[in-house]
Amino acid sequence: MSILNIEHVTKKFGGFTALNDVSLNVEKGEAVAIIGSSGSGKSTLLRCVNNLERVTTGKITVDGKVLVDTVDGKAVYPKEAEIRTICTKTGMVFQHFNLFPHLSCIDNITSAPINVLKIPAEQARVEAMRLLGVVGLTEKADSYPAQLSGGQKQRVAIARALAMNPQIMLFDEPTSALDPETTNEVVSTIQKLVEQKITMLIVTHDMRFARNSATRVIFMDEGSIIEQNTPDKLFNHPENPRLQAFLNSIH
Amino acid sequence: MDTAYMSAILPSLLSGTKLTLFIFFATLLISLPLGLPFALGSISRFAPFRVLAKGYIWIFRGTPLMLQLFFVYYGLPIMFGASLRMTNMTAAVVTFACNYAAYFAEIYRAGIQSIDAGQHEAAKSLGFTSWQTMKIIILPQTIARVIPPISNEVITLVKDTALVTAIGVGELLKAAKDANNRDVNPTAFFMAAIIYLALTFLLTLLSQWCEKRFSRHERKEI
Repeated sequence: MSILNIEHVTKKFGGFTALNDVSLNVEKGEAVAIIGSSGSGKSTLLRCVNNLERVTTGKITVDGKVLVDTVDGKAVYPKEAEIRTICTKTGMVFQHFNLFPHLSCIDNITSAPINVLKIPAEQARVEAMRLLGVVGLTEKADSYPAQLSGGQKQRVAIARALAMNPQIMLFDEPTSALDPETTNEVVSTIQKLVEQKITMLIVTHDMRFARNSATRVIFMDEGSIIEQNTPDKLFNHPENPRLQAFLNSIH
Repeated sequence: MDTAYMSAILPSLLSGTKLTLFIFFATLLISLPLGLPFALGSISRFAPFRVLAKGYIWIFRGTPLMLQLFFVYYGLPIMFGASLRMTNMTAAVVTFACNYAAYFAEIYRAGIQSIDAGQHEAAKSLGFTSWQTMKIIILPQTIARVIPPISNEVITLVKDTALVTAIGVGELLKAAKDANNRDVNPTAFFMAAIIYLALTFLLTLLSQWCEKRFSRHERKEI
């Protein structure tokens, strides 16, 4: 079953084409890693799926609901309320965590379920504690983000996104702002989610993660998907010269 | 130091202080909340709101407070009829409240816009409406940031209240000036200065407490 369907998406910033006719389909239970050098459009693609950027043309369908379609060469979005409903099907994890600093960890996790999904506070709290257990931070429930390490912040951010019970998790370079030690704790948290067959699309510079955990790896360059394959084939038998050059440059 | 003279004029200075404090608190009570709609207006996506809010802020920050005071007290009843005639106290509070609301609006606006774009993005990706984002995520964080500039304005307000002497309100400075003119003795001015200093000292303590109170979450330990 297709959870996310991206068809011919183009995104221009002024004269610069960040995404050039990108198409991608993500099935339920897949963990798709997107790799590529900076400026290749990986993050922009993720941000278009979550409506943090608006596409110039193309179609995006999330869990059967159309987020954007193109009519007569122009991108058409539904009403704000409809967009919000569609976007709650995607859970976003940011490079810089973006936790709410004035709220404790537990409140960071429960605020959207309570205010957006209108779940009773007590029920949201029970679920948030369960999720803190999943990311291994139960004892930090009442701490504030300023009291956590980078890795802990990112794990809380993952729990916050999971609390909305999304159909697909989007990770935008979740370990790029972390030091090598804390990177591991975040990577193993995400690996745990992969094992639970949580659908995800993850933009990463962490090749070890892409190689070991992803079910499919996509290589992007200059706004286009150049090659995609299973991690084993993509890393061991890259076909496109640009992918070969990229892999050589990072080893 | 003539302590007998000082205690003789103290009651009149204290009753002047009462008026000063009344203008001070009435102004804050109105202008602190009134600044918020103007702040939100000035960053609204709806152009008429923006023009209205920015025009208001421009006028009240762009002309002297004393001129505004004269305009409200003397000018309004002449231009728009006697129904707009106010007591000098009312005119003082109205003018100060409108003037300070403009300054607070700018402080709030700068505070709101200083919040990291990532906060808006996180709120949006979690499905918050823009109003919920403002209320639950942005404004609570803004409070901690605007306390220092707000404190600054509040301390300025204590001293600005002395301007209402010009329309004959018998507040602290006027009480001191009257005593000086009557007795040809500047002691009253020194006493007034000490009272102003005492008031601003208390406000400084209060603002320090507020700063700590509202930035608790930023501390590494609780």
